[in-house]
Amino acid sequence: MFLRILKKDLKRKKTMNIILVLFIILATMFVSSGLNNVITVANGTDYYLDQAGVGDYIVITMGENAVGSLDDMLANTPEIKSYRMENGGMGGRLEVSRDGGEKVVFENMPLFQDYDQEGINYYGADNEILPNLSSGHCYVTGSFLENNDMEPGDHLYLEGYDIKLDLIIDGKAKDALLGSDFMGNTRIFLSTEDMNKFTSIEEFTRYDMGQVCYIDTDDVAAVAAAVNKCENVNFSESRSTIKIAYVMDLIVAFITLILSVCLMIVSFVVLKFTITFTITEEFREIGVMKAIGISNLKIRSLYLGKYLMMAIVGGVIGFVASFPFGNLLIKSVSDNMVLGNSLGIIPNIVGAIIVIITIMLFAYISTGKVKTATPIDAIRNGQTGERFAKKSRLKLKSSKANAPSFMALNDVLSSPKRYLTIIIGFALCTLFVLVLVNTVNTMKSDRLVGTFSSRADIYVDNQSLSLRNMTRTRDEMMEFINDTEADLADMGMPCRAFLDYQYQYPIFYDGQEYAIKIQQGCNTTMDSYDFMEGTVPQNKYEIAISPVVSELTGAQIGDTITIDYGTEKIDCTVVAYFDTMNNLGKIIRVHEDAPTDVSAVSGAWQFQISFTDDPTEDEIIARKDKIREYLDVYDDEVQTATEFQIKCLAVTDTMETVQNLLLAITLVVVLLVTILMERSFISDEKGEIAILKAVGFRDGRVILWQVLRFGIVALIAGIIAAVLSIPMTHLCITPIFGLMGATQIDYVIDPLKIFLVYPGIIVVMTVVVTFFTALYTKTIKACDTASIE
Amino acid sequence: MAIIEAKDLCKTYVVDKRQNNVLKNVSLKVERGEMVAIMGPSGSGKSTLLYSISGMDRATSGEVIFDGKDITKLGESELADIRLDKMGFIFQQMFMMKNLSILDNIMLPAVESKKNASESRADKQARAEELLRKLGIIEVADNDINEVSGGQLQRACIARSMMNSPEILFADEPTGALNRQSSSEVMDELCKLNAEGTTIMMVTHDAKVASKCSRVLYIVDGHIEGEYVSPAANTISDKERERALNNWLTDLGW
Repeated sequence: MFLRILKKDLKRKKTMNIILVLFIILATMFVSSGLNNVITVANGTDYYLDQAGVGDYIVITMGENAVGSLDDMLANTPEIKSYRMENGGMGGRLEVSRDGGEKVVFENMPLFQDYDQEGINYYGADNEILPNLSSGHCYVTGSFLENNDMEPGDHLYLEGYDIKLDLIIDGKAKDALLGSDFMGNTRIFLSTEDMNKFTSIEEFTRYDMGQVCYIDTDDVAAVAAAVNKCENVNFSESRSTIKIAYVMDLIVAFITLILSVCLMIVSFVVLKFTITFTITEEFREIGVMKAIGISNLKIRSLYLGKYLMMAIVGGVIGFVASFPFGNLLIKSVSDNMVLGNSLGIIPNIVGAIIVIITIMLFAYISTGKVKTATPIDAIRNGQTGERFAKKSRLKLKSSKANAPSFMALNDVLSSPKRYLTIIIGFALCTLFVLVLVNTVNTMKSDRLVGTFSSRADIYVDNQSLSLRNMTRTRDEMMEFINDTEADLADMGMPCRAFLDYQYQYPIFYDGQEYAIKIQQGCNTTMDSYDFMEGTVPQNKYEIAISPVVSELTGAQIGDTITIDYGTEKIDCTVVAYFDTMNNLGKIIRVHEDAPTDVSAVSGAWQFQISFTDDPTEDEIIARKDKIREYLDVYDDEVQTATEFQIKCLAVTDTMETVQNLLLAITLVVVLLVTILMERSFISDEKGEIAILKAVGFRDGRVILWQVLRFGIVALIAGIIAAVLSIPMTHLCITPIFGLMGATQIDYVIDPLKIFLVYPGIIVVMTVVVTFFTALYTKTIKACDTASIE
Repeated sequence: MAIIEAKDLCKTYVVDKRQNNVLKNVSLKVERGEMVAIMGPSGSGKSTLLYSISGMDRATSGEVIFDGKDITKLGESELADIRLDKMGFIFQQMFMMKNLSILDNIMLPAVESKKNASESRADKQARAEELLRKLGIIEVADNDINEVSGGQLQRACIARSMMNSPEILFADEPTGALNRQSSSEVMDELCKLNAEGTTIMMVTHDAKVASKCSRVLYIVDGHIEGEYVSPAANTISDKERERALNNWLTDLGW
């Protein structure tokens, strides 16, 4: 008999049951994939760096006679347990093009290496170590293929030093050291035979070759101090810093995980509502069953059996779907990393079991109402006759609204608990979309450009120009700057040209030596930089430090940090803090008079131009072309401040994709929640709908009532989300930027998008879905008043 | 003059591919100002006749002429407009909007109607309160619907049905869910409304209720089996009217 009751129940409430199963599938999918991804991503970077064999400390050298410059340090530092070395050419002087002679784009300076001499493991798309290369073939790393819209099998042409190579790209290599979006240096791996063609040329080995050294040690600080004394060090960082470089990749994964958790909550809340609602709706059946003497346990087990069946069906489907869904969520991360965890599918199984147990728990709690139900409920339509609180909140007499609008608003105000589930669900989803909108807007602006270098109108990002600038003495650089300024002024573009250098000098604080980069401008004054706190450094005895440096060393404003410039050791007073994302925030900014030397240069920032005639934005864009022609560089190498920031942050496009994905998922959730709730409400309000029709309400007016009610709810959710979006952006996103060195973010808030467009999309979606679902009310006729229980 | 007339009204339900002819060529006329009761055994088609004739349900065939129009040919929206402005309905189940007070429930049809478009919301309220006063439930005007008794709620339903001054009032077992006292009160109100000129057509099982009507139609198996015209109210007592009707019903096999 129970089976027959169950079968009838499943058939009678087909739509509700289908939607309930859909939510169980969704919840299982999110929990299972979320759990697996949490474990994978949380351990992801360590797992990847271990698999690749990156070591504990990494040094990259470049510049004149860079090869061998680490040899003494490696031999004489007892803290070094072992190391692996790769030789590579810096590609600044090589022309790299594709079929048709078109130049290819590199995010940063590319490295050319012999793949047979790899120091770490490089993986293919299938996460297997890539095989050795034959002559005429190459591998590329990072986002090179995507950025150039190329694919394996395409040709790459290398030209320089009177050598021309035609290479077939065999595939993408996952590079644990430089492959993250934030590091962004592409490596091109060649066969030994092809690489030898370059290494046999003295000019190449002397000026353009460098080394990448992976050091294994238990004492990173000692190794860092030893490396500090070496020349030609372009990059030196510990494994922990390399891990942080993946933060941008991991942000995407974590956002999707937070989204999963958020959707899980929504799914559970909706499940609880639906189960409770279904049980409440069945007061008559329960009452009748009690009246004929069926025990509470049996009645309860009938419903528990139904929900167990649905939970198992939904759980199994959700478990299977969690694999492709989970892979989709962390696709952008897994493109650059070898991700994996030793637990395999166990997290997915655990996730599915958690959902099934949770659903059964909800069902058990909700079916508790069975105990309190009595046969009288069957007679009294579930009403106890007792009432202690006024239900109606608004008065028609004091309202100017038409009947459907009045009823809609009054419903929401009179039964707020009933609509709370929808409001929480919609607000949560919308909030996450808005937080990402704020983040993407900020990333697509020039708001953060000051955290890289001084603000400018134009940034010239040309590899060979940067290489040349790195080897120029300060006088030579000033001469180049003066010539450029004069020429551009003659061309009608009066300007100030400048750039920032990074230097590697031994830094001492409180008796300890640190490997912290120093940044100094050329043809700039200190007041052209942004400082967060303190006073602008006035001379070479005053410096500004980043919060990251302050945290690393413990130095604060007023403390003294010693910099050994080689020619002189200067005790510098910390007078200011500044935010920077260079070197993940490990930067000290020194005054323009500080006695730096070209031999200690570890990097030169983009050549920058600020116009002094205050041109409009359109004029700046028009001037880009003239500057490109003047400096003989490529189109995309002359950038505005916004373009430069987008390039530096590297993952803006990915973030925008995640934002759109999140919006799409939110819309799906809105769709499902709306259908489920609206169908529940219609089912609950059949009598009221019938009576409205009986007294002469047209179908359209009844639908309008239903639609307006959900519209109001979506609007409230949208307002809550919009209001909370600004503090939530600060709360959630600022710590992530903080990991990269930027601790104070002035977000770009676009009121139109935050308060109108995105909440508007959610409201419109809700209204449209409610409208189509509410069309079902047309099937309820006025004469149903007589037959509705 | 007939306010509503049914001609050859048929209603067929198809359940599990089986036809069930509930109304079989029913023809009847209700004169303006009449109070007509429809009686008959369970499943005879009383309620179906009431819903078909009032346009709440679509007849399978036949005509229903109301206000000179065949309402079986009208669309849903036109039917809704007629129900709103020209017809009133009372049901055995006293359905009202749960989240509205008694007064707001009563005002609702007036707010929705364009009949008295110039009438202010305050005037509508005054009219609703007047109806409540007339029906003796003004003290529960601001109550929620489950804060009143069944009799009060049914009187509130009558007030709602009268809010747009309908030409005809349809009632389906209006006293079916009420106790004797409440039932009597509700019938008194309906009789008063009829005396004031409102045409009433009701379905009832209760001979006492039906005896208050000027005419009784007895329906069996989908067609009208007999028609009883009550003596004028001032000629015999209520008890005698009830007895006479009972005798007639007994003759028909009631």
